[in-house]
Parts: sequence; structure tokens; C-alpha cells
Amino acid sequence: MLLSLMIFIPLLGMVAVLLLPRESEELIKRATLLFTLIPLALAVYLFISYDRSNGGTQYVQGPVPWIDAFNIQYHIGIDGLSVTLLLLTALLGPICVIASWRNIEKGIKAYMALFLLLETGMLGFFAALDLFLFYVFFELTLLPMYFLIGVWGGPRREYAAIKFFLYTLFGSVLMLVAMIAVYLNSGDPGARTFDIPTLIALASTEGHALNNLNFQIWVFLGFFIGFAVKVPIFPFHTWLPDAHVEAPTAISVILAGILLKMGTYGLVRINMAMFPQGLDYFTNGIGFWGNSLALLGFINIVYGSFCALAQTDFKKLVAYSSIGHMGFVILGLAARNSEGITGAILQMFNHGVISAMLFLLVGVLYDRAHHREINGFGGLGSRMPVYTGITTLAFMASLGLPGLSGFVGEALSLLGAYDKFKMLTILSTIGIVVGAAYFLWTLQRVFLGTLNPKYEALPEINGREILTLVPLGILTIVLGVWPNFAIDMFRESVTNLINLL
Amino acid sequence: MVVSLISIILLCPLAAFAIFGLLGLANRRFPRQDYLSTIAMLVALVCSFLLLREVVPNPEPHTVNWISLGGVTFSMGFYLDSVTVIMLIVVTLVSSLVHIFSMGYMHGDPRYPRFFAYLSLFSFSMLFLVVSDNLLGIYIGWELVGLCSYLLIGFWFEKDSAANACKKAFLTTRVGDVGMFIGMMMLFTKFDTLSLYGEGGIFAQAAAQLSTADMVWLSIAGVLIFCGAIGKSAQMPLHTWLPDAMEGPTPVSALIHAATMVAAGVYLTARMFPILTETSSLVIAYVGGITALVAATIAIVRFDIKRVLAYSTISQLGYMMLAIGAGSYVAGLFHLTTHAFFKALLFLGSGSVIHAFHAMHHAHDDEHEHAHEHEHGEEHILGSEIPPDQDMRNMGGLRHKMPITFITMLIATLSISGVPFIFSGFWSKDKILAGVLGRAMEWSSVHHYILFIIALSAAGITAFYMFRLIFMTFFGEPRNQEMHDMAHESPKSMTVPLIVLAILSFPVVNTLWFNKDYVKPPPQPHLHAPQHAYLSPDSQTGGQGAALSLFGVSEAFAAEEEGGHGTHADDGHHGHGPAHTIAMVLSIIVAGLGIFFSWLFYHRRTLSAESVATTFRPIYNLFWHKYYFDEFYDGVLVALTVWKSRLFAQFDGSVVDGIVNGVGTVTRDILAAFVGIFDNRVVDGLVNRVAQVTWAVGGRVRRIQTGAIQTYLFVVLAGIVLLILIFRAL
Repeated sequence: MLLSLMIFIPLLGMVAVLLLPRESEELIKRATLLFTLIPLALAVYLFISYDRSNGGTQYVQGPVPWIDAFNIQYHIGIDGLSVTLLLLTALLGPICVIASWRNIEKGIKAYMALFLLLETGMLGFFAALDLFLFYVFFELTLLPMYFLIGVWGGPRREYAAIKFFLYTLFGSVLMLVAMIAVYLNSGDPGARTFDIPTLIALASTEGHALNNLNFQIWVFLGFFIGFAVKVPIFPFHTWLPDAHVEAPTAISVILAGILLKMGTYGLVRINMAMFPQGLDYFTNGIGFWGNSLALLGFINIVYGSFCALAQTDFKKLVAYSSIGHMGFVILGLAARNSEGITGAILQMFNHGVISAMLFLLVGVLYDRAHHREINGFGGLGSRMPVYTGITTLAFMASLGLPGLSGFVGEALSLLGAYDKFKMLTILSTIGIVVGAAYFLWTLQRVFLGTLNPKYEALPEINGREILTLVPLGILTIVLGVWPNFAIDMFRESVTNLINLL
Repeated sequence: MVVSLISIILLCPLAAFAIFGLLGLANRRFPRQDYLSTIAMLVALVCSFLLLREVVPNPEPHTVNWISLGGVTFSMGFYLDSVTVIMLIVVTLVSSLVHIFSMGYMHGDPRYPRFFAYLSLFSFSMLFLVVSDNLLGIYIGWELVGLCSYLLIGFWFEKDSAANACKKAFLTTRVGDVGMFIGMMMLFTKFDTLSLYGEGGIFAQAAAQLSTADMVWLSIAGVLIFCGAIGKSAQMPLHTWLPDAMEGPTPVSALIHAATMVAAGVYLTARMFPILTETSSLVIAYVGGITALVAATIAIVRFDIKRVLAYSTISQLGYMMLAIGAGSYVAGLFHLTTHAFFKALLFLGSGSVIHAFHAMHHAHDDEHEHAHEHEHGEEHILGSEIPPDQDMRNMGGLRHKMPITFITMLIATLSISGVPFIFSGFWSKDKILAGVLGRAMEWSSVHHYILFIIALSAAGITAFYMFRLIFMTFFGEPRNQEMHDMAHESPKSMTVPLIVLAILSFPVVNTLWFNKDYVKPPPQPHLHAPQHAYLSPDSQTGGQGAALSLFGVSEAFAAEEEGGHGTHADDGHHGHGPAHTIAMVLSIIVAGLGIFFSWLFYHRRTLSAESVATTFRPIYNLFWHKYYFDEFYDGVLVALTVWKSRLFAQFDGSVVDGIVNGVGTVTRDILAAFVGIFDNRVVDGLVNRVAQVTWAVGGRVRRIQTGAIQTYLFVVLAGIVLLILIFRAL
């Protein structure tokens, strides 16, 4: 019940916000903040009370029949991985509301309402245990996102929004087909099911229709492409830079922080757990297909990093860096061992935190200077020391400086991957150097050197903006110094997952 | 006791930095950050001395689990042996003195408190690196000192040269670090741990398990880990960042880029000593030897006082690497400590000189701007613009004006030049030369005598350029009278650290540790293993037999070491008597020659440096252009990387995204055509009817709710409710 409450409180908030008069903007903002703080409180409670020694699904609700005709059920629950990502989602909620406090000029009511709808979609997605429900939540995030980019975005917002929408839809159609295939093969008519735990069990039952290599390879691919668009994995990534550049700050934060994780979460929850044979085919290290997943991870890392190096738009640079960093997740998952998977999950969480910081920081600068051209700044370090300090922290975390959280995920993913894919892993380390290069070069062009006279009066970062960054900064340091804080949550879940493979 | 002392040592500087960071968030400062940081460092210094008594022969690491996964755990911990404690004392001592020196040197800087906060963070990171018992911990400290180096080189970031230099330093060292990380992955895959010491540690496992067949990958892993040291200790070919790092404030150059951080590479290599193989040892020795010689030749022709010292540092670090590669573990670490003191002294002394010119620097800021403009010509292209207050061509005759600076720097110079018997540098350098010669005698190939020749030449050149620096700076007539008149001796906060370091440049202080078998080299079971195993008949019978025999061999080695029969001439006084004598005599001769020629060129001026430079133009150019490394890196590697990144980005924009957009357009057009046909023929009538209805309803809705999105949202909500109800009914 607690879990359902957490998922649907933002939806309730949406209704409440819609009923408020349009003119009372402060009230709308405060109400939205309240309706995002409640899920955060619940998420923290779940995070603390979740039984770490047992990696199984907890706080289960259901299965309650929903659409009997297709045996679709309302079934939710969380394991260590879900609870970690739920915390991330719930944390970014209020942060984004605060980040939107001043810089959404028109239609604040609709914006906040859509944002709350989005949050319900994301929270539900990470808790769903029924494949159909999972899909519904997945799609539910699409609509508000489309409007949030398309209405409140930058000059090319419509193009970006449509591209994002169609691209994701294309992926989810393949996913839908795969899903139906799984459903139809799950049993005799009448006994078919969308229930994820049941399907996982069936897929490893000797002789069952789901336990078939050929079948698993095809459905694996279907789901994979659906999630690959979301992650995004090369070559399905081009919607991302456009969407980021056009989206308002808070929406970029959600996009990079949560929506990308939905892709990798799906890979773990569905592709890995449900189709271990399909996974094996793509990650066993034999031949082209056996190395293909790791190869995609490698391409993401190196390709994303090099593309980032060439960007002169601050936001686009961060967007491409996200592509590179998600590559470490793919590489870690492809390794299929405890180091790799743990590293990948940590990287998901840490990237969520760090990229959120980065987009917030870009937003701070954009709100002041009204442009994002990296070469158009210079010497801000002497004008905005606090902002420079926080940005340096975020950059260092993102480029994988040990002692900050970004390092642990990357290092574990690489350590795990090296065991299986030696050459690809070694080549992937190029990304570590290039990653440092684009961040340091940006740091130099924006903050070092003599102060650009145009920005002599640029105001320092304000208290509200610091408030959005501090919790993320603390997490970055805490998880860098004490990674077990997060790993404790999902260690057993990872062990369970590995036992399935 | 050990754990709590080490914890205090680490937490004091960390707290000093944390206070700065937390207050900084609110744009506030602790009123006396300088005192805070300095006191933190002095506490750490005292604790380091207290640790001297805690050293035991075969220490166990003190660990905690850092990352626990299902199968493996990564632990973090402390390891305290005699080497650790010596490093702790060297770091805390130099750091404390640099803190005190900085109170004078950095006085009046607008970011004065920040400087001390950074020094604290650096000290913490360096100390963490030193006490770590595992590669992961070392790597963490390693990267953190790199960050501090970055922040401090770029401390005066308004200068473009500083902004460039800090970026270059970070990136160049990171290239080496990636090599180190790959090496760590190799070791981890083999041993399932990154801990070095203790029962399950890498060293114990390697000694027990590895066979001849493992020597190839072990050599590769050793060289890869050494890559990290190549970057951090500015060895060839990754040395180019260190001279540029001189853009940082001079106390930083003394602490980070002379005494401690750059020596971390030597420390790491020494820590990896037990798993070095014949091949990796040779690689290390050659990289070190070549670096020692090449950097020394570049130092001869520099005019920037700090760059001379920077190249000298590179050269001396190469010396230490050479020693460790040649198996002279003790000599390498011994030189590390003596070098830390006399090089820190030289840098601080040069800082004192620069400071002396500083008042004038401020008075004539505008003129300098012009001077810079003029100098832009050739020098700018070389990337070595020399600030006037660091240019030795502006100095001369300063010994009367700055007697303390002069005498202390002279002591350091005598020490680094290897002037016999009463200076510490002589002893450590002599130990290295003896070790290299002794090892060259052992090596099967005669070729390796070249290492000894290289080392000897580098020693002679070092004496030459160091005295060149002294003569140009302190002797002769003032070359720039205006600047000379402004010069003054530095305040006490700066001269006292100089005097302390000068005292530390005499052997009594630091040879104590090294002559009484305080430091013992760990056994190197894999060094001669290939040959021994190959020679033993067991190797014919297969892996297991070889491994067993190997184990026996390593035991024998360990026993030999314990007995004090140093196999690789670690201590000059036993083992290789003749090697030691030859080395000592030769080193005294080359040092004497170096000083003598320096005197002829730069004091007596019987010989003219200019005419020699003209005669040997190509060689001079090679030295002057630093062997064209920077030109190669900037012109080829950096340009290639940037070009490649543009290529990727263009590919991304036009090809990948082009396909996406193309597919989009085509689909839209085709669909539109289809739908158009379908629409006109079939649906039209239907749609018109629906449209009419919608229009009517829409109008009514519009009256209730304004704004399309709100409408949309309600429709979505209603849709969801409807969906649930309908499906429930099914």
C-alpha cells in the first residue's frame, strides 16, 4: 500500500494542481513541491526499512486482477535495484520543482501538472511487476515529456519533442511486439500471463516454450531495441542531444537522471533476468554476436566521449557525455559478474546524480548569460567562485575522480568487464582520458583565463540554486567515500540476478 | 595505536580543507585558514614521528571492507613499515615547511586562504597514498594528488599559461594513470584482490602461485603499473607537463612538483618491487636512465630559474627509477628522501629570489605587460615565455643582497651535485651508481653497462647546470641594475624553512635510516625466476613442478636477503666491493668536472657558452627545443584527437542523425500519401461527422477550461479512468 501511495500521490497532486486557480502561481508551486516531497519521504522510508539481507521483492502489492481478459494484473513490489532508483527519482522530483521555481515563465500550472504526471509514470515504472503495467508506466512518461519539451523548450523545441516522441515510440512498438510474443508463449490460452516473476520462473523451466534459445534471442532483441533507444545506445542516440538542448533545465535533469535509467533498468529487469539464454548469446564472448553487447558499450563510451569533445554548446557537451557514461553501464552489464553488474547499477545511480548536477549547473549559467556557447565565456572563476567550486566538483565526479562517486561505478564496470572482454575494456579506457579532456577543456574555457568583460556583473549562484545542488553534491561525496552505502541495498539482489544467469 | 595515529595524520589536513569547503559554500572564510592548515600539518608531523616507534619487522595491514560484493571484497587499509614511516616524515616535514614559507611568499594574494586549503587537501591525499596497503587506495590518493596539482598549478588561473599548464598536467598524467588502471585490472583478474600485503595479498599470492608461464603477463602488468609512475613522476615520454607546472606558485613547485607528489611514482614503483620481473625491471631502468640524461641536457640551456630546477627534478626522478629498476631498492628510496629536502630547498630558494624581485614586479606591472608583448615572438611559439623575475639573465651578484638564500641554496647545490662526503646527495647518488654498476656486472648482457655510463654522465651534467644556476644568480655583476636595487632578503617566515632544509641536506640526518638496515629490500621472487626455473630440471616436467621449484627459489632468495648478502648491491658496503669503489671514484671525478666547467663558463668566463652553442648549433637547438616533444604532442597528438572528435561529431550530425531524419521524412511522406488516399476515399465522410461533433464538444470544453494543455491533461486522466473501468468490465 505504501508503494502504491508513493506512486499515485503525484497523480493526486496533478489533480489538485489542476483545480487550483491559474493566477495563484506561488500556491501551485508550493503544492507541487509538497506533492513531490511526500514521495521523497516515502522513498527514504523505504530505503531505510528495506531488508538488505534479503534481496527478494519486498513491499509487494497485488497481484490484483486489472484486465481479466488478458490476465493483466496490478502487481508492484521493489527489490534492491528498484528501491535505489526510486530514491533517485523521488529525490530529483523536488529538486526539479525548486529548479523550475523562477525560470518557467508561462503556463506554470500546466507545467507543474505535467511534471507530477511524469513523476507518477517514473515511480510506477520502477515498481511494476506486471509486464503490461510496466509498459503502461513506460508509455505514461512519454506524453508529459513530449509536452514539457515541446511547449517549454528552446527554439527548436517542436522538432526535438517530436523526434523524442517518435523515436521512443518506435522502440516501444518493438517492445510491445516482443511483449505480446512472450505473453502468447507463456502458456495455454487462459493460463497466459504478464506477471514478471512468473515469466522469469517459466523462462528457466526446462522444456517450457519460453526456455528456448531462438525465441529468447528474438524477444531479447525486441526489448533491447526498445530500451536501447531510451538509454540511448549507439546508433539510437541522436534524439538525446536535441532533446537536451531544447528541454528546460529541470526537464533535462529528469531526462538524464531518470529516463535514461529506465532503459538500463529495463535491460536488467527484463532482458537479463527473463532471457538469460538470449543474454548469453549476446555476451558469451564468442564471435561477433557474443561480443556485441560489450561492443555497443565500448562504442558508446568512445564515440560519446569524442563527440562531447567537439561540442561548443555546454548542454550538448553534457548530453554527449551522458552517452559516454551510459556506455559503462552497458559494458558492466555485459560482463554479467558481480563486479560488472554492481558497477553498472552504481553507475546508473551515480550518473543520475552527477548528470543532474551538471544540467542544473548549465541551467544556472544559462539563466544569467542567456547562452550556452562554451567559447563565449572565460574567466568566470574570479567572478563566481562558489559556482566554479561546485562545477569543478561535478566535473571531477563525472570524469571519474576517485573519492567521488563517478569513479566507483566506472572502475567496477571496467574491472568486471576486463574479466570477459579484455581488448574491448582496454580500448574503452580511452574514454577515461577523453572524458577528462572535454571536462577540463570546458573548465578552462568557461572559468579560467581573464574575465570576459561582458560578464563582469554576472551574479553569483544564489541560495535557491545552491539548495538544489547541495543534496546531490553530498551524495556524490558520500557514495565516493563509502560506496557500500548504496551497494548494501542491492548486493543480494545482484546475487539473485547472477544466480538466474 | 598505529591506526589512531595514522587516522590523526590523515584527518587533520582533511578537516582543515573541509572547513574551507563548507564555509566556502556560503561564500565565507575561516578567519585564519593559514594557521589552521599549518597547525593541522604540524600535528601530522608530530604523529609521524611518533609512528617511528611503531614499526615492526613484518607488519600486517589494518583493513576495513570498502566495497563488498557477492563474491569479492575490496578493502581499504593502512600498511606501516619503515618505508611508510620515512615517507610520512618526509611529506609532513616538507609540507609543514612549505606551509610556513607560504605565509610569507603568498602574503597579500587575493586567494590567500584558498591556497592553504588546497595545500591541506594535497597533504591529505599524498599521505593517504603513502599509507594505503592496496592498489585501489594508492590509485585513489594518486588521482587526488593529481587533482590538487591541477588546482594549484592553475592557482593563478587568470594567466592563460597557468590555465593551459594545469590542464596539460592533469591530462598527461591521466594517460599514465589509465595504463596503471589496466595493470590493476590484470592483477585483479589474476588474484581477485587489489590488496598488496597480508596473506591473501597480491605479493603473497604471486610468490606462491606464479610459474614461468606467468612471467610474460606479469611483466606486462608491471610495466603498465609503471606507466602510472611515468606520468606522475614525469618520466619520458610523459615528462612535458612538469616544466609547464612551474606556472604554479613556487611553494607548490617545491612541495608537489619536487619533493612529494612526483616522487609518488618512485614510491609506487618501489612498492611494486616484489612483483617486478627481469623484463619490467629493465624497462624501468632504461626509462629512468634515459629520462635522467635527456632532462639533464635540457636543463643546461634553460634561463628560467624554475625550469632549470624542473628539468633537474625530472632528471633526478629518473635516477631514482633507474635505481629501482636496477634492483637498488634502498638506494632509490634513499635518494628520494635526500632529494626531497635539497630540491624543496632549491625551489624555495628560487622562490625567495623571485619574491625579492616581486616588489619591483608590482611597481612595473604595466611595463611587464609590454615586455611580454615584445617577447611574444619566438619564445611564445616555444611555449616558454620567461617572466622577468624568474629569468636568470636578469640576476647576478645576489649573494650579498640575500646571504641566507645564497648559502642555503649553495648547500643544496653541493648536495645535488654530489660533492663528496659531507652532503647527503653524494651518498644517495653514490649508492645508486654503485648499485647500477653492480647490477650491470650481474646482467648477462654487456649492453647494460650503458646504464651506468648514462647515470654517470647525468651526474656530471647535473653538477654543471646546478653550478651554472648558482653562478648566474648569485655571482658576478648584477645584469639588471634596476631589479637588483629592489632585491632584498626575504622575511623570517621564508628564511627559517630554508635553514631547516639546509640542515636536512647534511647526511647526519637522513643517512641514519638508511645505513643501519632500517630499510630492507623486499624479496623479488620473479626477478631471476625465469632463468632459474629454466635451468632447473623440474621445468621440463610441467607447470606444477616449475611452480614448486620456483617457490623453492623464492624462499632461497628471501633467505639470502635476510642474511644480508644483498644480491643486487643494495648496500654499497657489502656485496660489490669493487663496484662501489669504482662508482665512488668516478662519481667524484664527474662531479668535479661538471663544477669545474661550470666555473670556466659562467664565472671565469674563459669559455663562452654562446660560442659553444653556435658551434654545436643542431645539438643546442635540440636541447633548447626540449627534443621537440611539445611540438610533437601539440602538433600531432592533440591536433589528431581534436580532429578525430570533430570527425565523430560531424558523422554523428550528418550520417547517424541524417539517417534518422531521412527515415522520418520518408515515413511521413509515404504515410501521408497512403493516409491521404485512404482518407479521401473512405474515412472522409466519417471524419467529417466526427469532426463536427468534436468541434461542438471542443467549443463547450473550451468554455470550461482555457489552455490546450489543461484540456489535454483532463482528457488523459479521464482516459486512464475510462481505461481501467472498461478493462475491469471485460
